[in-house]
Amino acid sequence: MTLSPFLLQAAGSLAAILALAGLAHWLKLGAAPVMTDEDSVRRAAGEAEAGFIAIDAARDAKGRAGLARDAHARIMVIKHHGNRYAGRVLGPKAQARLQGDPGETALEVDCGEARFGKVFLIIPDAQAWAAAINALNVAHDA
Amino acid sequence: MPDFNPTQYAVPLFVVAVLAEMIWAKYRSPEAYEPKDTLVSLSFGLGSTLAGALLGGFALAVMVLAYDYRVADFGAQWWAVWWAWPLCFVIDDLAYYWSHRFAHRMRWMWAAHVNHHSSQHYNLSTALRQSWTGNLTIGIVFSLPLALLGFHPAMIAICGGFNLIYQFWIHTEAIKRMPAWFEAVMNTPSHHRVHHATNPRYLDRNYAGVFIIWDRMFGTFEAEVDDEPIRYGIVKQLGSFNLLWAVFHEWVAMIEDIWRSPWRHKLSYLLREPGWSHDGSRETSEMIRAKWQARAGSEVAPAATSVATRNRIAARGEAA
Repeated sequence: MTLSPFLLQAAGSLAAILALAGLAHWLKLGAAPVMTDEDSVRRAAGEAEAGFIAIDAARDAKGRAGLARDAHARIMVIKHHGNRYAGRVLGPKAQARLQGDPGETALEVDCGEARFGKVFLIIPDAQAWAAAINALNVAHDA
Repeated sequence: MPDFNPTQYAVPLFVVAVLAEMIWAKYRSPEAYEPKDTLVSLSFGLGSTLAGALLGGFALAVMVLAYDYRVADFGAQWWAVWWAWPLCFVIDDLAYYWSHRFAHRMRWMWAAHVNHHSSQHYNLSTALRQSWTGNLTIGIVFSLPLALLGFHPAMIAICGGFNLIYQFWIHTEAIKRMPAWFEAVMNTPSHHRVHHATNPRYLDRNYAGVFIIWDRMFGTFEAEVDDEPIRYGIVKQLGSFNLLWAVFHEWVAMIEDIWRSPWRHKLSYLLREPGWSHDGSRETSEMIRAKWQARAGSEVAPAATSVATRNRIAARGEAA
């Protein structure tokens, strides 16, 4: 059996792709970012949407995610994406769910966009943030 | 007729160059690469080749048909007319500029081209992040004038291949600036970093392929400002490394918009610029830039930063 040059090239390219991606992993390129304080959450929010000026922010205990609120009461959820951040301003489809017993600080935020995924945060005032996020839905329905 | 595809021969060079840049990144800028992002970008490259083999026949047929109506004829041995090659290359690059500009300004074309911009990284693997769906747009229209002028479709394809190869090396943060004369005429890593940026200052700028002169001529040039860190990617970052989602997300969004919008607005969601919405609920790049300028006032007047530093390799952690 002989393979066509095109298939050979495709197979070679696939092998090279896997080798290069593996090498990037082996070289430990792209360490995960960490938001060290609430200011870094605010900065990440401003980068996720130009002009989003956070007046309130909450940082996940591990620094991998955060929530930010601007003066117009818009709330943005921010998560790490590889070694960068991606954010979404939450809309009426957003839902927040407290995890564990009342008083716990674990929060699951679903922005309503399946591919963005749910974001898990351990933050102070989780209940207040959950209420504010779920109110976005209520405000829309009203 | 020569049967020659320059990009095929360049693939090993691409692999070696990515390898070399990774080693550079290891010591100078480890955050420049991210393994999952690299895997997605390189998979885009392979998928683009396969998609081209599957769907490129239609574009070729259209070009051959247009060539039948050419106004000039280089003769049966057109490939031996040496001066036709550089002429074709320059005109093809002008066609690329306009095609690329429309790819950013018409959502139908953006749906295919967004793939090239959806990485939040800027490295040589990003260069290989090529569209799978470019043949489903009207991009071919911009190359038709070359065939009508009399350039053989094979010559156009070869020049286009060299154009693509040129654009590979400019996708890097490892090179700060090229010599001033080069920056003035040619597309460079600095100019193209601007093109991949989401900073309001840089949105929809520097569409050039090889020669940056087109942007200077048509008013879309923006120089890289040294003290403003660049953020790469798209205005609404993907937030997912799912390859198929990365390929089709804008097609899905566009079709949803067309489906849901009132009849009189449906065509606008296909033909108008990304970010346009009939109810004003979204922002185009002009809106984002205008808001940014309003926020920052006169401080953000378009910069005309001179090419002060040349051939400087970006220091670790320094924004490109």
